[in-house]
Amino acid sequence: MSVIKVDNISKNFGETKAVQRVSFEVPKGCIFGLLGPNGAGKTTAIRIINHILIADSGTVTVNEVKVSPETQRMIGYMPEERGLYKKMKVGEQLIYLAQLKGLSHSEAKQSIKYWLDRFEALDWYNKEVGELSKGMSQKIQFIATIAHDPDIYIFDEPFSGLDPINSEMLKDIVIELREKDKTILFSTHRMEQVEQMCDDICLFNKGKAVLKGNLRDIKKSFGKNTINIEFQGDHTFLDDLDNVRINNRSTNFAEIRVLNGQSMQHILKTAMEHAEIYKFERIEPSLTEIFISTVGEDNINPNELT
Amino acid sequence: MNFQQILLVLKREYTTRIRSKAFIIATILIPLGMVAFMGIGIGIAVWDSQPVHTIGIIDQTHRIYPQLKNLAPDRYKDYSSLPEDSLRSMVQNEKIDGYIALNDSILNEKASPEFVSSGAGGLSLQTTIQSDLREAIRKVRLDQAHVSKNVQDIYESKIELKIRKLSKEGKETEDDTGFLTAVGVIMGVIIFMSVLGYGGLITRSVIEEKTNRIIEVIASSVKPIELLLGKMAGVGALALTQIAIWIISIMGLATLAGPIISSYIAEKVPDQTAQAAAAQSSQGINPSAFTIPTIEPSLIILFVIFFILGYLIYSSLFAAVGAAVDSETDTQQFMFPIMLPIMIGYFIMFRAMANPDSTLAVVGSLIPFCAPIVMITRVAITDVPIWEILTSILLMIGTFVGTMWLSAKIYSVGILSYGKSANFKELLKWVRE
Repeated sequence: MSVIKVDNISKNFGETKAVQRVSFEVPKGCIFGLLGPNGAGKTTAIRIINHILIADSGTVTVNEVKVSPETQRMIGYMPEERGLYKKMKVGEQLIYLAQLKGLSHSEAKQSIKYWLDRFEALDWYNKEVGELSKGMSQKIQFIATIAHDPDIYIFDEPFSGLDPINSEMLKDIVIELREKDKTILFSTHRMEQVEQMCDDICLFNKGKAVLKGNLRDIKKSFGKNTINIEFQGDHTFLDDLDNVRINNRSTNFAEIRVLNGQSMQHILKTAMEHAEIYKFERIEPSLTEIFISTVGEDNINPNELT
Repeated sequence: MNFQQILLVLKREYTTRIRSKAFIIATILIPLGMVAFMGIGIGIAVWDSQPVHTIGIIDQTHRIYPQLKNLAPDRYKDYSSLPEDSLRSMVQNEKIDGYIALNDSILNEKASPEFVSSGAGGLSLQTTIQSDLREAIRKVRLDQAHVSKNVQDIYESKIELKIRKLSKEGKETEDDTGFLTAVGVIMGVIIFMSVLGYGGLITRSVIEEKTNRIIEVIASSVKPIELLLGKMAGVGALALTQIAIWIISIMGLATLAGPIISSYIAEKVPDQTAQAAAAQSSQGINPSAFTIPTIEPSLIILFVIFFILGYLIYSSLFAAVGAAVDSETDTQQFMFPIMLPIMIGYFIMFRAMANPDSTLAVVGSLIPFCAPIVMITRVAITDVPIWEILTSILLMIGTFVGTMWLSAKIYSVGILSYGKSANFKELLKWVRE
């Protein structure tokens, strides 16, 4: 069953076509990744799901309800641009935000005390947010997102700006939430995070959804057309190979995507002539590679992909 | 629209601000500041000594100078023995500030005397000399015409105007136009300042939510229009609280101060009071009545109504400015078109103060952007026809609906556009979307 159903939505800002006829479905209890370079339309799509923006055409339903103030309460949303009132006390602020999501004052207080206690932050209750360190206020931001115990969680670029400790904590929370059969949608332009966490993905490029589905199925469909090679010695032979695309290259490691039926044996032979081979492995392509081969090399600003 | 959400936003805006030091300090300091400001103004007027200007007089009639000397012995010096040329050089050397040559033609042929001035003394000196000369010459002419003492007394008598006001109910009271004018102007100024001050607060509050980046978190729970209305209502409630505190404390002080002032004056300085009474009676103020005239409750109710409507119209615009810009330094270009009408209203108010029924005042009190300031001043001073008040209120409500619509459009787009301030062209596009 799909908890979020995005059906053929488009959104223009003047001349800019931010989102064009995008459809995807998020199944219940999964971690769903929305990927793509910056400016691909991920945030616009997320804002439409959150009913912050209204789509020019198309529909979005959450738990079978058309997006509305009612569906907003089913979602915990942490935007990419996030922050808190600096001059308000932690407790008051969290209660206010939870009340806006429909909790009563006492429900809100109870839930907030529980989460502050879990993060060992109960003594921040009466502190102003401005007094907290960046890491501390990031924790408060999580609590603000999850305190009303929604079914669906949407995080827009959640790991950008997070310190490593909070990054780990967020991953733990996300995994814990999925165990409770909650649904999580997050967007990122960092592919390796998706590989680690996501069940399903939707790939965005220039406002269009170019690839979507179960991550494992997608990878399988691309076949084992990629080589992971580890070696010692002169690495310039990599430059002489034809019909390949080299990702993730360093002095003694390379990920080589084989194109146009180039023979893998030939690559191995060339490599052996120039260097000592430690490892030569046929694998499924990385998500970065999938993305590049889907949208075409010319359509990508390489700075926006890592 | 969800009223619950608006109420939550309102409550937050109100409670976080009313506890802030800034609010408490402003509530205390603004009235003190106003009193100090007026005090300084009066103090300057009192302490500013009139410099003595010396005017040389060549009096060939030998009759006008003695009269001038009676009027102001320090100002006029008799140089009748000197030729005009040497007075000219004295003016050039700044030994005297000017001279006047008076001859018989002035008395007989009604020629105008000529004042040769170094330019010192400004307008007030010229006016003084003119009135001195008029009086002196009139006296000499009367003498010359051998007019009887009776007639001369008639010329010297001063007429006072005693004013009593007859209300519609037939009650006759001491005239309190002066007092009511002061009340009207103070009310107008309070509305003017509060609308600007609290409007600015709204702008800053909107910008703050954008720069804090909390706005998107809020927008995922609340509709922009709910947030905007809640914010305006919360800050408006704050403004009303402040004004209520002021009105109550002024009323409290007034009831306390009346008896204290009278007893102070009666005990300590009876002589000066008598003198002051003599001086003031010529200005048409009755000094014996130290009781504070009453302010009609209906005036206070209208004041609150006009304040609220003025606040709503302007605060919706100020909120739109906050949504359109990225930082406070960028607000200038949008502030000007908003400030212009309220400044015009402010200046019309001072015309309305002197002449509350003039065309300018009536028109100004009907134009919704000026009405809150101009109308309250008129209502305080004079009896404004009820249909004018109602028309003004209806026009303001209509205008508010318009500004609110405009502001909501700009606000709902603006709060999510980070990083740069919009220009007028972009705003137009937002409104059309």
